[in-house]
Amino acid sequence: MPSCPPETDGDYPWTEEVLPTRLDIIPEAETAVLSALENLGYDEDHWFAVRLALEEALVNAMKHGNRMDPSRTVRMAYRVAPDRVDIRVRDEGQGFNPQGVPDPTTDENLQRPCGRGIMLMRSYMDSVRYSCGGNEVHMVKYRQPRQGGMAP
Amino acid sequence: MSEEPEIIQVVDRSGVKLVRIRPSAILREAEVESFGDGLLALAEVPGQRVVLSFLGVQHLTSLVLGKLIHVHKRLAESGGELRLADIDPHIYEVFAITHLDRLFRIFDREDEAVASFIAEAEA
Repeated sequence: MPSCPPETDGDYPWTEEVLPTRLDIIPEAETAVLSALENLGYDEDHWFAVRLALEEALVNAMKHGNRMDPSRTVRMAYRVAPDRVDIRVRDEGQGFNPQGVPDPTTDENLQRPCGRGIMLMRSYMDSVRYSCGGNEVHMVKYRQPRQGGMAP
Repeated sequence: MSEEPEIIQVVDRSGVKLVRIRPSAILREAEVESFGDGLLALAEVPGQRVVLSFLGVQHLTSLVLGKLIHVHKRLAESGGELRLADIDPHIYEVFAITHLDRLFRIFDREDEAVASFIAEAEA
């Protein structure tokens, strides 16, 4: 499996956790990240956005990446600084092409029950990038809105 | 030891099924499944009209949206309909971003949603 270790930043180091592929542990995993936001005074909008995006990323990693295989793990790394929140989620699956996910907002796809997770991540975070063949996502949320909007 | 309340509570309002969600409930996979199953059970009655109140719900995910779409389709197949109400502004934004505010009729309050069904039946 390719390795994509988070870069280091002296003042605000990354915290990395290895999670079992179990959906019931997601709320607990979120708590650590959200507590860090709260400690640095991020507002409710940031809290909601990060929680939603993180949950979508973890569910995707477990369900679509690891296919709920209990022998596989999910690596979650996060760094909360005063000006930005970085989150990386990596699964042990085969990866995927995020460009291949159909737009769920078109008329023909509006009633499809799936395909909205990535869209929500992109909507609520300022940057969402996939690497390592599509099985790692790196999301950034800035405290202040950036010019240029969402990542491609 | 107190039992966990059901994830949804259903009351009848003049033939309209009003569904309230237990606050802070729909987070985990098992709860999402239970939530969807409860709503799908209502869709077994042909022409069923359902109002789903999100009062007190502060969080949801795409898994929940998928369940709502499934229920919407099942109800529509039998001439019924699902309408939504009491949606927190943050949650409403999720519906707007995903364009599901075009798929569902959304009301500010559950009473308004129930009244809309009754008014249509009487018209």
